[in-house]
Amino acid sequence: MFFIKRGNLDKLLESLRGDYRVYVPRKMGNGTGYSILGESDTDYVIGENRSFEPLKSFFFLGREKVAEDFKPDILRNDKPLCIVGAKACDLKGFTILDFVFIDDEYGDPTYMKARKEALIISADCTTVGETCFCTAVDLNPWPDFNFDINLSPVDDGFSVTVGSEKGQTLIDNNRSLFTKETEAQTKAVKQNRKNIQTDVMNRAQEKGIPTTERLRRVVEKQYDSVVWDEVSKTCVECGACNTICPTCHCFLLYDQKSEGKLARFRVWDSCMVNDFARVAGGENPRDRLWMRLRNRFDKKFTYFPEVAGEIGCTGCGRCIAACPGKIDIREVLAELEI
Amino acid sequence: MMKNPYRSIEAEVLKVTTETDTIKTFLLKPKEELTFKPGQFMEFSVPGVGEAPFTPSSDSQIKDTIEITIVRVGKVTEAIHELKPGDTVGLRGPLGKGYPLTKFIGQDILVIGGGVGLAPIRTLMYGLFSMRDQLSRLVYRGGCRNPKEFLYRKQLEEWMKRDDVDMKLTVDKGDESWNGPVGVVTTIMDDLDVNFARAKAVVCGPPIMMKFATFKLQELGVRDHNIYLSMEKNMSCGFGKCGHCRIGPYYCCKDGPVFTFDMIREYPGIWE
Repeated sequence: MFFIKRGNLDKLLESLRGDYRVYVPRKMGNGTGYSILGESDTDYVIGENRSFEPLKSFFFLGREKVAEDFKPDILRNDKPLCIVGAKACDLKGFTILDFVFIDDEYGDPTYMKARKEALIISADCTTVGETCFCTAVDLNPWPDFNFDINLSPVDDGFSVTVGSEKGQTLIDNNRSLFTKETEAQTKAVKQNRKNIQTDVMNRAQEKGIPTTERLRRVVEKQYDSVVWDEVSKTCVECGACNTICPTCHCFLLYDQKSEGKLARFRVWDSCMVNDFARVAGGENPRDRLWMRLRNRFDKKFTYFPEVAGEIGCTGCGRCIAACPGKIDIREVLAELEI
Repeated sequence: MMKNPYRSIEAEVLKVTTETDTIKTFLLKPKEELTFKPGQFMEFSVPGVGEAPFTPSSDSQIKDTIEITIVRVGKVTEAIHELKPGDTVGLRGPLGKGYPLTKFIGQDILVIGGGVGLAPIRTLMYGLFSMRDQLSRLVYRGGCRNPKEFLYRKQLEEWMKRDDVDMKLTVDKGDESWNGPVGVVTTIMDDLDVNFARAKAVVCGPPIMMKFATFKLQELGVRDHNIYLSMEKNMSCGFGKCGHCRIGPYYCCKDGPVFTFDMIREYPGIWE
């Protein structure tokens, strides 16, 4: 375990700008949002809680040209990404997206490349967001996996955990910026984590969300429940819950002619929109709004546990914050509890 | 180098055959090797307009050309119907799993087709004829709304003369050219001479027809795991990433489009 002073972290990030596009979380209104780190730029915050936008948007772009004419070329060839301050919920999102997009035969080439090359410098949460409930889906408000190095804020700097070989190499190559962690620092990290975990748990429990052992069964059992119809009444089919979700991966391919060339784009799609499953002949297996809402829950709490052994919800609560119809996933799950 | 699964192969339209008012068959010549198995599908694109999934209707043993029969129903098929010989199109595939023909060896095979479902069934029949000596009985029941809508009617009439297939066709509504049975396809399924308990049944057609044919097969004693259905769902990528065609734990594109009934019977909306 290591320690790095804030000033040294500034230096480390500055040096990473050569090889990476470094994105950092900055204070924005009452939360944080990501933007690229500029030269001698130290205006960023480590800690807080998850950013407004999901980190998937760096790896799986909202709109991307994926093929041109009939050429087999992979079109995107950006400098690798370095994401700083990534939170546990977004890192869990990668587990789901990796399951979907990484595969030998039909893997998404740009997603795979971006994930493979990226450097993830994650961080513990130090505050709880209004809509946070990660502990209810068995996550901790600090990263346990999917990072290269993790930063746990302590006095004057950060306690550093290594999560991968790439992370170890980063420390080895910049050894002068790190010191050994002191016992007091180790203790402080433990205490901070315990406090923040308790805060999130209290908030999540308030809402009466079924335990993870029961979640899948509850959603399955309540397939024909009237709850779906009731809670979908305020949905306006904007698709914000899909866009903002770190695990929603659905997309649409569309073709167009651009600058005299044929272009195929991959764009985010939303399962809440009426046309999502409609076939050209007109049949629509989910022609009612409540069926589409139910499908979204079914995908996260039944499909992903069955095929990937993972709950498809990270408890980030972004869908709650984004919903103009005030649909609250915590309340829906609590209402489904039998 | 990484493969680009989104890229189409260029193909040339060699011939366009008008089958009915709304159905045309396109003979295509891919510029790169492109082979498929009966039951697999392709994403067919009109450059700059869009893609849509179709199952070829030609003999999969023919390697240099592919025939695809297409009903005009939406934006992409509208543009496809405008195509002329010499035009350039895109093909992406083959996608999905085909019919598990090796499992058919030694068994009685029942093929039930309806409407434009006769197109993929044609590919299957070529496949079955090519392995005919390895099959037990082979039965084909085909249905259509009216005689004018019968796809490949001449070819079907040729096949009816063969003595290695028990073939019957019906129409919902006859005309002066029709002297066969009248009624939906399930009405010509009562004289089947097969071992229902072991028979493999393949059903391909409009959802409503597949639904009632499945119920009829169950009634006759065909087991759910021996009923092979060609499912139709909204698909975009064709390889299980874009999320559109989910049926329970499956994606219609990647795990299908051919499913046995026992795999999908418990999931809602399968007939829609």
